[in-house]
Formats: sequence, structure tokens, C-alpha cells
Amino acid sequence: MSASFLYALVGIGLFSLSLYGLIVHAHLLRKILALNVMGSSIFLVLVALAKRTNEAPPDAVPHAMVITGIVVAVSATALALTLMLKLTAETGRAELPDDQRESH
Amino acid sequence: MEALTLLAWMFDGLLGLGLLWLAWRALTCPDLFRAIVLFIAFGLLMALAWVRLDAPDVALAEAAIGAGLTGALLMAALAKLHPTETNDNLSVQAEISRPKGRLLQWLPVVALLLVSAGLGYVVLSLPPYVTGLSAEVAANLKTSGVDNPVTAVLLNFRGYDTLLEMVVLLLALLGVWSLGGTELHRDTAPGIVLDTLARVLVPLLILVAAYLLWVGGHAPGGAFQAGAVLGAAGVLLLLAGWRPRVGLMAWPLRLMLVAGPGAFVIIAALLYMIEGQLLEFPTAQAGILILVLETAATVSIGLTLAALFLGGRPRNDKGLT
Amino acid sequence: MGTALTDSPWGVMLILLPLAGGMICFIWPRMAQVLGLVTVFSVALSVVGLAWQMLDTGVYRHAVGGWGAPLGIDLYADGLSLLMLLVTAMVGFAVSVYSAAFFEREDATRFWPLWLFLLAALNALFLSADIFNIYVTFELMGLAAVALVALAGGRDALGGAMRYLLAALLGSLAYLLGVALLYHGFGTVDIALLAERVDASPVVWAALGLMGTGLLLKTAVFPLHFWLPPAHAHAPAPVSALLSALVVKASFYILLRLWLEVFEPLIGSEGVHTLLGLLGAMAVLWGSVQALRQTRLKLLIAYSTVAQIGYMFLAFPLAAAAGVAAWNAAAYLAFSHALAKAAMFLAAGNLLRFGGHDRIADLDRVVQRLPLTAAAFALAGVSIMGLPPSGGFIGKWLMLEAALVQGRWDLVAVIILGGLLAAAYIFKVLGYAFTQADVVHESRAVPASMEWAALLLALGAVLLGFLAVPVLSLVGIGDPFGASEIRP
Repeated sequence: MSASFLYALVGIGLFSLSLYGLIVHAHLLRKILALNVMGSSIFLVLVALAKRTNEAPPDAVPHAMVITGIVVAVSATALALTLMLKLTAETGRAELPDDQRESH
Repeated sequence: MEALTLLAWMFDGLLGLGLLWLAWRALTCPDLFRAIVLFIAFGLLMALAWVRLDAPDVALAEAAIGAGLTGALLMAALAKLHPTETNDNLSVQAEISRPKGRLLQWLPVVALLLVSAGLGYVVLSLPPYVTGLSAEVAANLKTSGVDNPVTAVLLNFRGYDTLLEMVVLLLALLGVWSLGGTELHRDTAPGIVLDTLARVLVPLLILVAAYLLWVGGHAPGGAFQAGAVLGAAGVLLLLAGWRPRVGLMAWPLRLMLVAGPGAFVIIAALLYMIEGQLLEFPTAQAGILILVLETAATVSIGLTLAALFLGGRPRNDKGLT
Repeated sequence: MGTALTDSPWGVMLILLPLAGGMICFIWPRMAQVLGLVTVFSVALSVVGLAWQMLDTGVYRHAVGGWGAPLGIDLYADGLSLLMLLVTAMVGFAVSVYSAAFFEREDATRFWPLWLFLLAALNALFLSADIFNIYVTFELMGLAAVALVALAGGRDALGGAMRYLLAALLGSLAYLLGVALLYHGFGTVDIALLAERVDASPVVWAALGLMGTGLLLKTAVFPLHFWLPPAHAHAPAPVSALLSALVVKASFYILLRLWLEVFEPLIGSEGVHTLLGLLGAMAVLWGSVQALRQTRLKLLIAYSTVAQIGYMFLAFPLAAAAGVAAWNAAAYLAFSHALAKAAMFLAAGNLLRFGGHDRIADLDRVVQRLPLTAAAFALAGVSIMGLPPSGGFIGKWLMLEAALVQGRWDLVAVIILGGLLAAAYIFKVLGYAFTQADVVHESRAVPASMEWAALLLALGAVLLGFLAVPVLSLVGIGDPFGASEIRP
């Protein structure tokens, strides 16, 4: 069942790609996009490796875990987007405020 | 069957490459609007991958929630982020950060390549043929009350996870509402296309949701997929300018939002008192109980997703709800 | 009476009560404050009930849904879980009483549901024996905590909340990839079953790396601590107390649990626990130095949290030889830090309410004007510094003992140096609290309940100094640290 390993490796690749995107980009919307792709990549690893059952139907437990994960991801995304909008309204820029300077 | 296997390999390979390429483009595109569109396409390709991996329930959930509703949320956020852009000029440029200095630029790339290589090696070291928990699931499926193994796991075997997850969804709405209210009035009248589309699609979507809910017991489907389709109907209504009556905004709305996780908690507690174990369904009533829980969950999930799209606690004229 | 007490479903109630309470507070905002207090009080009673039950019958295990691992999810509590549940109930109750006076009407209706869901998440996490279930509880906890931080509004709080959310999500995702690898490697997500099946294969190493990094990020261990000071400092005072005392300990608890159970075959190798000890030592020194440099009180206290967390990680290298003693030290430090740090943040909140600012240099004769608050801060400081008598002293003493027995002079030096630096920044604050500031500020009244909540928590931290034997015997229920080397 090498198709499952193929997809699992794609998942690993996506994980690294999105981790790079999360660290490197400053714009909050891009960071949120990166986190979403990262979540999808982990789900891909979970479901792909569940198909190693040869001819039998795949393992249903990772499928349930991924559905749970998708709902959790959309919840987190919604909160993150609203927080981003609020922050932008306060600072004018959709980026994490620079906390090097101490506000007195 | 050489040709078929080769074809399957090519298809999977192309799909995998497509996923990687779309993700890369979505993350590095200078235009935010295009980036979100690419992300939605990525989600749809992902749904295709789930189908290839024999995971139709996940495919439905991904298409509806992961690609659809997440995409809608991202678009709505982008629109609020740059409200001065007109309808025609949809390109929103945001600079791609380039870290300063050659070392700083290449260090994360090298590190991540090493990490990928390591993780890839670990993945390939896993045994090629393993049953996981599918044996246990199959053995207990008859007493679980449903025929669809994914629904059985979600609502029965690991129902506690589902309970917590629905609270997470509600909590996200609580968080969004605590960050600020929103006006209920409509800003612009919808065009005729959107208006007609909404009138035709929304009843259809509600029917599809009901079907998905019912069929989830023995075929791919279930509460989350149905709830997501309901949420999509809600989003369509909101886009078409519909706003619910102000009187409905207070505790009836909150009650319906809480119905899903609330039903779970009540039934969990009752079952504890009757059966002695938390969430232990008696075999005879398991099917009915699961259907009740799923119905409540569908309503809650649909409403919560639509409310998340609206993006703020609805205010009535008298003040805050 | 005995059987009724021990047969009641205390563990289950710990999760269902705050969930139900949170939902009812959401539906009925007018009653949020009363309902919130009632719920927290009943949760506190339930923890006492669970403790009673566990003292009677040993570890608590409950198979949710009647299925049992590996198909279903198990709830499990031993001495360590009970300790964390106790500290959650104690700090939670004090902070709830404080919050009843702290939040105005509008903010209160938002605060209570969020706090009750956070409480549910904490209890669910400490009771869970299933690593995927723990992921869901982490997300519940993270979203609730972020929403609570953002309640303060304003640029600083929102920026801190955003940073916190991104860090929390990244940590959870790294953790989840580890869960995926472990499940596909060993066919289960139950901790006890994994402990039986795990071996020193690449999969487990990868899982350790991923989950370890994710949990270190969530526990704000140096150098992954960047998100903590802005989030904890700019949140509303009771929220800061909850975050520093409880939320940060939750990921440490999971790391410890996984280290002891799942990653046990890997412990033999020197590298990992040396690394953890090194990070802990740097956290102690860096956090303390940064705390000394701060001009704002809440930022000082936040950096102090970064430092105090480092102490707990010193147990990892020490436990290789000293075993249970080092872990007991870490558990005691976690307990006393939770009480003391919560007291400090509540005291800082009082000062903020009183003077309208938290600049250390302008703490105008606080000792005379808010004596209870100043006493709370001082007593909490005693525990943070590790002076006798206090819980902090016992924890540091146990850690020093373990280090001396093994001849780890480097760790002894770190602990002593950390204590000296802590004394420096605590006395800096107290010094300003005694003296008159250059500019006189307008003052607002501080409700008595807020002052007493802070003081009682601080007294609790000091009282822990006398309760070493009973507390440690409680922690020993179910033998979480493997003293007898037999798997439970």
C-alpha cells in the first residue's frame, strides 16, 4: 500500500513548507494561512497511514480524529482572524506589534 | 493490471505534487486575495486526496469546513481588513517578508530540510501493513448503534472527544463575541443574481444537510458534515443581506447555539446516573441517542459557523444582547 | 457516609460541572457572576471529594463510554494529577472571588463563561489518559486563555493575545504530529498502553522531538518563552494569575507524564535530559535577570514566571540518579509557585486598581495605604525567593538535596544564583513600596475581597512550607514517579 506512504510524505513536505511560512512571514493573515496548511498536513499524515490495511477498509479512528481536528482548526482560525482584525484596528498594521520598545 | 496501477500512481503523484505546489503558491503569493483563492483550491484538492485514501467522511468535512467555510472566513476577514478596495479591484498586495542577511535567510530552509528528511525517514520506517484499531472498531460496530464506523467512533467510542470539540467551537464563538459586537443592519442590497441564488440554494442546502445527517448512520455523512452545509446556507443568507429578527437574538439564539454541546453534557450525565459510566450508551437505545445527539449537534454547528462568519455579537437597537 | 463519598462520580463532575456552568452562564448572562461562583465552589468541593476517594481506594480510572482503552478514552488520576487538580481548585476559587469584584458588569458577562470553560479544560487535561484527547483539551484551554487575555483590550493586550494564540497553535500542531506518529507506530493513543508497547525506535525519537518541542513552547521554556511576558503582563490581573499559575503548568504536567510513561525507554540516553536541564538553567538565569530590568510590575512578575519554570526543568537531569526526590521537588515547586505567583498577580492587580498604573518606581508608600496587598506580595515573594518557611523553600531544598547528592555543583550554583536574583527583584519592588514617590497619584478604593484573595493565596504558599509530608504522601498515590519501578 505504498500510496499511503506517498501521501504521508507529501504531508511531511507540507508540514515543513507551512512551518517555514509561519516563521518567515510577518503579515498575520499569512501566518494564519500557514497554520491552516500545517493542520491539513498533519491530517494528511494521519489519514494516509491509516490506509495501510491492504484490501480491508481503512482504520476509522484516524478519520474521526481528523474530522475533530478540522472542526478545531476552523474554530481557531475564526478566533485568530477576529483577533487580527481587532489588532489591526488598534495599530493600523496586520502584524504582531514590535515589543522591543517598552511602553511606559 | 499493470496499466491501472501505473495510472493510479501517476494520479496520486500528480495530486501530491499539486498539493505541494498549491500550498507553496498560496503561502508565497504577494496578493492576499489570490493567496486565499489558492488556499481554497488547495482544500478542494485535499478533499480529492481524502477520496483517494478511502476517507469519504473526511472528504465531505474537508470540502465543507476546511475549504468552504474556512475560505469564507478568510475572505470576510480580508474584506474587513481592506474595506477601501472596491469590488472591481480585488488585488490586495501585502509584502512578503525577506529576512535580512544571507545566513538568516538560509538557516530556516536548511533546518527545515533536515527536519523533513528526518520525519520522512521516520514515516518510511513504519510497517507497511498494520490494522491499527480497525479490528476493535469492526468487532464492536454492531453494539454501537450505527453502521458507519467513523460515526461510531465519533459519537460512541470516542464521543468524549466530540463533546469537547463542540465546546471548542462554541468557545471560539464566545471569544469572537467578546472581542466586539457588530451592527445588524444590511449595508448594501444584494444583486439579483445573489438574491435568486440564495432563494434557490438555501432550501436545497437545508435538505442536503438533513439528508447528510440521516445517512451518516450507515454511509459517509454525519453531524459535522450536515452542520457545515447548514452553516454554508447561513453564510449564503448573510451574504444575500438577510438578517434575523432582532427579538430572536437573545436567549433563543444562545439556547440553540448551546444545544449541541448541551445535549451531550445532559445525556452524558444522565447515562452516568443510569449506566454507571460516562457516555455509556445502552445497546438498544444507542442508535436513537446518537441520532438525537447528532441532530442537536447539526443545529448548533450550523448556527455557530454562520455566526462566526458574521464575525461579531449581534447588537439590537436597545444595546447589547 | 464513607461509601456515599467514595462512590460519587467526583472525577466526572470535575469536567461536567464547569462545562454546564459555562453554558448556562452563556445563555443567562445576567446570572453569570452568581452561577460562576457557585460552579467554581462546587468544583472545589468535588476535588476534595476526589481526594477523599483516592485516599481510600487508590488511583482513579474511568473508562468513558464503557469501552476502555484502546477503543475508548480513559480518565485517570494518580497523586500527581490530584495535586494539579487541587492547585487548580484552590487558585481557581481565589481568583473567582477576586474576579467577582474586579470585573464590571459588561466584562463580567464575558469573563465567566470563558473562565468556566478554561476550568473545564484544565480539569479534563489533568484527568485524561489519552494523548489525542489531551490535544483537544489543549485547544480548548488555548482558545479560552487567549480570549481571556484579549478581554483587557488595547494594543498591548491584543498583541500579547495574538502572539499567544500563534504560539499555542504551533505548539499544539507539533504535539499532534507526534500523536499521529505514535498512533501509527503502536496502534493506540492511550498512555498506559503506549507505555507498554513503546520501544527505542526512530518513531519514538521523532515523537519525543515533536511533542517535546511543542510542549516546551507551550510551557514557555527558554528560548521559546517569547510569547509569555506580553501575554501574562497585559492580560487583566485575574487572568494573568490563572495563566501563570495554572495554564503554563498544564503543558509541563503533560511533558512530565509523557516523559515518565511513554518516553521512558529513551531516558537512558544522556542527551535529552541534559538539554532540558540546560534550558531550565538558562531560563532561571535569563528570566531572573530580565525581571530585574523591568520597570513595570506585571512584566517583572511575568519574567519571574519564566525563571520559576526553569527550576522545574532542573529535575530532568537530576531524576536520572535521584529519581523520586527530584520529581517530588518539581511537583512541590509547581504547587507553591502556582499559589505564590497567583497571589503576586492579584496583588499587582490591586496596585493597578489603586494607583491606575503599575510602574514600580511610582509605588507610592503602598505598604501604608494597602497593607494587605503589600503583605500578600511580600509573603508570595518569600516563596518565590525560596526562603523558609514556605512551599518554595521546600521545593528548592529538595532540589538542592538531589543536586548535592549527585555532586551536580553546576545546578547547585544555578539554584542559589536564581534565589539571589529573585531576592533582588522582590526587594526592589518592596523597597519602592515603602518609600514615597516623587509624584502623588490619585487613588481608587480596592474592594476588600480582592485584597483578601491575594493575601490568602500568599498565606497558602507559606503554609505549604509546613505541609511537606502530607502533600508528598498525596502525590505518591498511584506512584506516578515509578519509585517501585513496577508499572501500575
